[in-house]
Amino acid sequence: MDKLASLLHMTPAIFWMVAKVVIVFSAVMLLASVWTWVERRGSAMIQDRIGPNRAKLFNRWPILGLSQLLADGIKFFFKEDLVPTDANKKLFWLAPFLAFVPALIGFAVIPFGKDFVSGGITYHLSVLDPGNGMGLLYPLAIGGVAVYGVLVAAWSSNNKWSILGGMRASAAMVSYEIGMSLAVLTIFMTTGGYDPAEVISAQGGALWHVLPNWNIFHQPLGFIVFFTCMFAETNRLPFDFAEGESEIVAGFNTEYGSMKFSLLALAEYSHLMTASALVATLYFGGWQVPFMPDPPVMLSILSFLVKMLFFAWVFVWIRWTVPRFRYDQLMRLGWKAMLPMSMFNLVFHAWRMSQGH
Amino acid sequence: MGVVVKKVELSWLDRTYVWPVAKGMAITFRHFIKQLFTPTSKRYTIQYPDMKKEMPDGYRGLHELKRFEDGAIKCVACFMCQEACPARCISIEAEEFSDLNITQGFEEKRPAKFSIDMLRCIYCGMCEEACPKDAIWLRKDYEVAAYDRLSMNYGKWELMNTYAEADGKERISQDNTPSVPRRTIAL
Repeated sequence: MDKLASLLHMTPAIFWMVAKVVIVFSAVMLLASVWTWVERRGSAMIQDRIGPNRAKLFNRWPILGLSQLLADGIKFFFKEDLVPTDANKKLFWLAPFLAFVPALIGFAVIPFGKDFVSGGITYHLSVLDPGNGMGLLYPLAIGGVAVYGVLVAAWSSNNKWSILGGMRASAAMVSYEIGMSLAVLTIFMTTGGYDPAEVISAQGGALWHVLPNWNIFHQPLGFIVFFTCMFAETNRLPFDFAEGESEIVAGFNTEYGSMKFSLLALAEYSHLMTASALVATLYFGGWQVPFMPDPPVMLSILSFLVKMLFFAWVFVWIRWTVPRFRYDQLMRLGWKAMLPMSMFNLVFHAWRMSQGH
Repeated sequence: MGVVVKKVELSWLDRTYVWPVAKGMAITFRHFIKQLFTPTSKRYTIQYPDMKKEMPDGYRGLHELKRFEDGAIKCVACFMCQEACPARCISIEAEEFSDLNITQGFEEKRPAKFSIDMLRCIYCGMCEEACPKDAIWLRKDYEVAAYDRLSMNYGKWELMNTYAEADGKERISQDNTPSVPRRTIAL
């Protein structure tokens, strides 16, 4: 690795940093685009359909419909890039990036594998090294910024339906953020730190000798609240209030076409990946392998990937199971169920800690 | 008096919302697994250009003008189908021809031209009902399409050969004059 770094005129530290950034973000983007395929084929299987299977690579290999991704990409690239005459052009262009970038960079602090030592240097498998002072507050803050993507996209299009979708979505995201933050706060409290590395290392070992010592078994209520709020945060069904074909045309992305639309769609899936990585880190022990105190590095990466992809699949699974909420039901659930529940969760665990558990 | 609508009382377990969602997820997962391990031929979806649906008996698809075993057209140009057709898509021109019949040298009738405009046809099957000779059948082919309007106007020979491949009959393109009396063939 040092040789490669010197060939590229970089110090090994910078090379390692660049490699991590490139690998992690391209992996997340790749997974996000593959997840559009998972969404389509998975929903088809759930509904006893077949899903996209006609597009063929070089007119020969359909590869289970995966070549549909390429076809879609090519189609999006060559479509006319329209901007409505009365739209705010600058913000209209900016909005897809505002949606896409926060969805992606929330992944930066999440460790996707165990640290390893090579040549006397410790390598951390997360884009930002642990102890950076932001910890898991960073994805929460970035999640707050993600509201802008939806709202700016909606507002700049100068379209009534778009703004309705954007308003609803941003209201939902903001109100669910409180319940989510309180649920995460409980974890910070019981862990005694908010760095993801600390959160994960606190989840090692076994609980009552039969269960892995994951936070979900300590805080099932917190998990339910957090996971539910993640649906609202990522704007996915049953809380997909940014969109709504039957009521507001397409929602916040009505006026978008071409690559800008594709970017907005990809942002949703990147957000989904980040959200499932967060769930895996906070409640399912991140890269920890159950009943293995010191797993090999590759196994820890695999463990993290399995957990993350499982939750990404659960996001898809729930979407095709549960019908949509009405807007007032969503708000009632957010403020009257999620917030009190996460508050109770916080107070209960504070009380338990005060009792010396 | 208004009707009292009974509200469904949900149990506490159902009111948690978590348990019903779990039940729903179990159902969707069952469907997922079932569909995943069902071979393509047994799935509900018929992937049309590759797979075709076997139409039920009594299906009214593309017409066929029936022929005798020797290849002569059964139609006697009686114009019954043309009269019966509610869409007025059949047009017939009759002609006379000599045929070896029970009474030899008798002048017989047959269509010189017989055309059905498939764009107009509504596949009601009235022509089949009206035909006294059982000479026109509506069968199971439903792939009636063409690139231009003119080729949707099926003529006599097209109609006689519509199911030639499917039945393994040879395509014919001219009237033949049978050497055997028609009566014996019919019997």
